[in-house]
Amino acid sequence: MLNIKNITKVYKMKGEEVRALRGVNLGIGDNEYLAIMGPSGSGKSTIMNMIGCLDTPTSGEYFLEGQDVSKMDDDQLAEIRNQKIGFVFQTFNLLPRSDLMHNVELPLIYGNIPAAKRKKMAAAAIEKVGLSDRIKHKPNELSGGQRQRVAIARALVNNPSIILADEPTGNLDTATGEEIMAVFDQLYKSGNTIVLVTHENEIAERTHRIVRLRDGLIESDEIIKNGKH
Amino acid sequence: MRLYFYDIFESFKIALRALKANKARGVLTTLGIIIGIVAVVTTMTAANGLSNNFKESISAIGSDVLYVSRTPWVQVGNWFQFRNRKNLTMKDSEKLAQKLIDARAINPTTGTERRIKYRSRVLENIDIIGTTDKHIMITTNLPEYGRFLTGFDVSNKRFVCVIGAEIHEKLFEGVNPINKKIKIGRHHFRVIGIMEKQGSAGFFGGPNFDSQIYIPITAFMKAYGSRNRNFNFAVKAPSQESMADFEYEVVGEMRKIRKLKPTEKDDFSINQMDTLMNAYNNVMGVVVMIGLLITGISLLVGGIGVMNIMFVSVTERTREIGIRKAIGAKRRAILMQFLLESATICLVGGLVGVALAFGVTAIVDKFLLPATVSPGIVIVAMFVSVLVGVVSGIIPAYKASKLHPIEALRYE
Repeated sequence: MLNIKNITKVYKMKGEEVRALRGVNLGIGDNEYLAIMGPSGSGKSTIMNMIGCLDTPTSGEYFLEGQDVSKMDDDQLAEIRNQKIGFVFQTFNLLPRSDLMHNVELPLIYGNIPAAKRKKMAAAAIEKVGLSDRIKHKPNELSGGQRQRVAIARALVNNPSIILADEPTGNLDTATGEEIMAVFDQLYKSGNTIVLVTHENEIAERTHRIVRLRDGLIESDEIIKNGKH
Repeated sequence: MRLYFYDIFESFKIALRALKANKARGVLTTLGIIIGIVAVVTTMTAANGLSNNFKESISAIGSDVLYVSRTPWVQVGNWFQFRNRKNLTMKDSEKLAQKLIDARAINPTTGTERRIKYRSRVLENIDIIGTTDKHIMITTNLPEYGRFLTGFDVSNKRFVCVIGAEIHEKLFEGVNPINKKIKIGRHHFRVIGIMEKQGSAGFFGGPNFDSQIYIPITAFMKAYGSRNRNFNFAVKAPSQESMADFEYEVVGEMRKIRKLKPTEKDDFSINQMDTLMNAYNNVMGVVVMIGLLITGISLLVGGIGVMNIMFVSVTERTREIGIRKAIGAKRRAILMQFLLESATICLVGGLVGVALAFGVTAIVDKFLLPATVSPGIVIVAMFVSVLVGVVSGIIPAYKASKLHPIEALRYE
């Protein structure tokens, strides 16, 4: 489904060059459940930005569902993100002053879906994460776990090819974190592809494949048999 | 194409949401625009009101009438070049009447100032106008009570007078003046009529029509002498369409009467209501332009305020912009959102400004001069508001659209 070939990413910061990625090769198929791990500075955020089409590589190729997205311009990338990627962030990143319905339907608005269809799709996504009774609430009226569930609904609403979650349980307590991971597990079982970036082993061990990065290169990439299928 | 409009409509809804979310800031931002619009609309309305008022006042002059006078009504620059012209005489007028057979009327007038007295009341420096019965054929002003002068009054040099509405008010204070005698200068005249209220062009240094007294020109010459008196002739053209040709004819006849050689310039002037209107429009035009310029500055200041707030808003919402981009908002969508926010704030400000201007105009209308806000002005005001919004918002909106999603998401 996606194939990353020899990706490098070099940033220029205050005259110095930072090599965040030094030649990464990664292939991800349909319906996989992956974790990307590594210490600070290993490039795991960078690789996530690459996969999520938030940024383009300095060199190398990235094929997403057959299309080479590594050379696309801003507008094209925006469209890819809208159609094929679903983001879940550590800090939820919801619009604080809009209700759940508006938050979840936002990707559909940018995707030019007409209002009636949008409402239906958003309602379905909210249903999937079990928050239908709170549909008119605003994020600040919800708990952390509930907010993250809304973020997941938003990530799902446009039926993306891949769901990218950056430390999704980072701002949650253990119990709530467990709830959220249960949601991800369920989504994997329903056929979605899920990529988590995490530094917590307990989280990573729920997936079925762990990719470890160090200093801008993949150190290891292993299928762990005791992931819950 | 339909998708494009849909795009804008959805951006507009998003913009409205954002504005609703922070109402207090929106109100403060728009204050400058409100003040600017009130100032602009009030200026334009006042200018309109003044113009209409002036037009109405001078309409008594008659749009199909030529006035033959010694000097032009509107003199720009060195007025003393006309100083050496000979007076027009009664004889000139009689000869003109003979020659201009297709004129509908010719009315000679002359004037002076006198003190007038009734019982114990005295008014100083009142315009006394010697005229004929043809006066009311020339102007649209008619007597409201009593009658005007007749041919009989003129031919018999009768000492009768028709007074203006203000003279009635001030000299007689509501007493019926008809058939009463007043003293004009050293002579007594019997009042036979009161003119209807005309209004005055006094605002611009013109005559106050309601403060004049009309007496037969023959009586005038008998009472105050005709030597060294200057006469004006009002000539009513056969029709409004032929004014230009008619003027040509009048000039020709006058030149003969005044015995001018072909190379000599005219030693008289032809004036029309149009002349006054043009002179007024020229002056008003400049005044209005300056007024609008000054009030326009307040709009400029308002616009700068909007731009300032939009910059702050963009910076404050950097994270939000990052989120929107991450879930697929294109640059243009972000640009549209912020541009529409800015335009909407200004449009609302414009609406409030127009509403307030209606209020201000109502006050002006009651106490100063008739004024109403025309729909045209409202539309211009709305358009200007939106324009200010777009111009003030474009740079902040562009800046917002150019934000890099990753950096924006990292913003604290």
